[in-house]
Amino acid sequence: MKAVIVQMTPRLGDIKTNLDRHLGFLDRARKDKADLVVFPELGLTGYSLKDLVPDTALDTGRSPVFKELLAAGRGMSVVVGFVEERSDERGLFYNSAAFLANGKVLHVHRKVFLPTFGMFEEGKFFARGRDFIPFQAPFGKTGLMICRDFLQYGSSYLLFAGGAEVMIVISAAPGRGVAGPGGFETSHMWELMGEAMSYFSTAFVLYCNRTGFEDGVSFAGGSFIYSPKGERLARASDLDEEVLSCEFDMELVRQVRKKWTFKRDERPEIILHSLERIVRRHED
Amino acid sequence: MKINSAFVEKVLTRFIRDELTKFGFTKGILGLSGGLDSAVCAVLAARALGAKNVLALIMPYGTGFSADIKDAAGLARALGIRKKTIDIAPQVDAYFLRFPTKSRVLKGNKMARERMSILYDFSAREKALILGTSNKTELLIGYGTIHGDMACAINPVGDLYKTQVRDLGAYLGVPGRIMKKQPTAGLWPGQTDEEEIGVTYAEIDAVLFELADQRKSRNEVIAGGFNAEVVDRIISLIKGSEFKRKLPPIAKISSRTVGHDFLYPYDWDK
Repeated sequence: MKAVIVQMTPRLGDIKTNLDRHLGFLDRARKDKADLVVFPELGLTGYSLKDLVPDTALDTGRSPVFKELLAAGRGMSVVVGFVEERSDERGLFYNSAAFLANGKVLHVHRKVFLPTFGMFEEGKFFARGRDFIPFQAPFGKTGLMICRDFLQYGSSYLLFAGGAEVMIVISAAPGRGVAGPGGFETSHMWELMGEAMSYFSTAFVLYCNRTGFEDGVSFAGGSFIYSPKGERLARASDLDEEVLSCEFDMELVRQVRKKWTFKRDERPEIILHSLERIVRRHED
Repeated sequence: MKINSAFVEKVLTRFIRDELTKFGFTKGILGLSGGLDSAVCAVLAARALGAKNVLALIMPYGTGFSADIKDAAGLARALGIRKKTIDIAPQVDAYFLRFPTKSRVLKGNKMARERMSILYDFSAREKALILGTSNKTELLIGYGTIHGDMACAINPVGDLYKTQVRDLGAYLGVPGRIMKKQPTAGLWPGQTDEEEIGVTYAEIDAVLFELADQRKSRNEVIAGGFNAEVVDRIISLIKGSEFKRKLPPIAKISSRTVGHDFLYPYDWDK
């Protein structure tokens, strides 16, 4: 299958411009016979929204934005990042990722771990998601994570335990630290996580980060794809927009899981039992 | 403390280009003093925007700093950027004729604010965005004039310590004469920053790195081998200058107040 990662720079607070660019990338991806197109976290709105969050919120079921995305993405699977407000949860705004396929919104993941420290203030503006649910995508069982979700290692585990063969991470990760060789030190950290988590999970890991500046913060790019055996299949440049295209065979999950039996030997009931004990002790 | 200068250049040139483009500008303007920080900014701006799109204002007070004027002009020529030299003595002297003072600091601050006022005027005349040149060391210890040399539209070097700016300058090929110069705010002829602050930049930066970047406490920094007096002096400089790094507090009356909870990004709709 052919995956396309759109490492792009959204325009802050401007859904119309961002939608037009998404549609343009989707047209191009369809011509290139892509099966999956992934856009970055909050790609439809930009990241540092602050009080713009309520003004940029969309309901996947009602918004014409999603009608256009579904039309432009026909025949492909598409992951988009946006601010979500559902009609049955008025006034709650989520940092969300929608998975579109077969003409409908197949799944929405709401970011669970909202970084709120130092330069990050997501907890101030967004409601928190509550679950990590793998779902059946056209190419295999898939799980979504948004940026910081991926750095909290329970998230990948839950998707792995739930049967995900593909983990898609959309991100708006600022670059920090310039003492190392290569790019930002934080880009190196993301790659290490990609390598480790794909290996642990014997699953594909697709990471789509954005680029550009907002209020002086540089989003680092460096999107990547890792195979189920921890091999880097593709990596986009640091800092600049890039459409990263990569073909891989889902059969590789089976090949790797024959050799590395992490999935077969997994015992979620033991994990659950231990977690219950830990949570109970917290409550004491 | 070490930086990958090649990558930092990539980030900062993109930052300058990106910010200017977003705000609808193609040109940048900056004050060129003949010192290291503004030289580094000029090189970055020339590479980011193209030399023709950068205007350097050389704004000496009289003729007391002729070597600096020469170095600034030489750099502008070497980079192929536009330059304009404006002697600020007439307007500064006119003011102090009315309100005389012997204080070199008052005079220095006034000069810094005259330069700011000229930069903002030319920024509007030329439709060019002002690039700030205050480095991280100056910002943290407050070694700058509020609404003077600290005023700007965007600052590409504000997260680089003085010693890091020097590393970047060497990488960018800033002329040796400027590289070797003793850092000075140019408040009066012969003035040097290190003499005035009483600590060398190497030492200030090493302590600041521990305090700010590594988030170590006073005692941890001192336990790491730094002189207690120097550390305390630097901490008091940081605390005493927080007001220079913030917008002034606004008395909160309503439920939504500028600076408190009316929260929009700087790059709003850009």
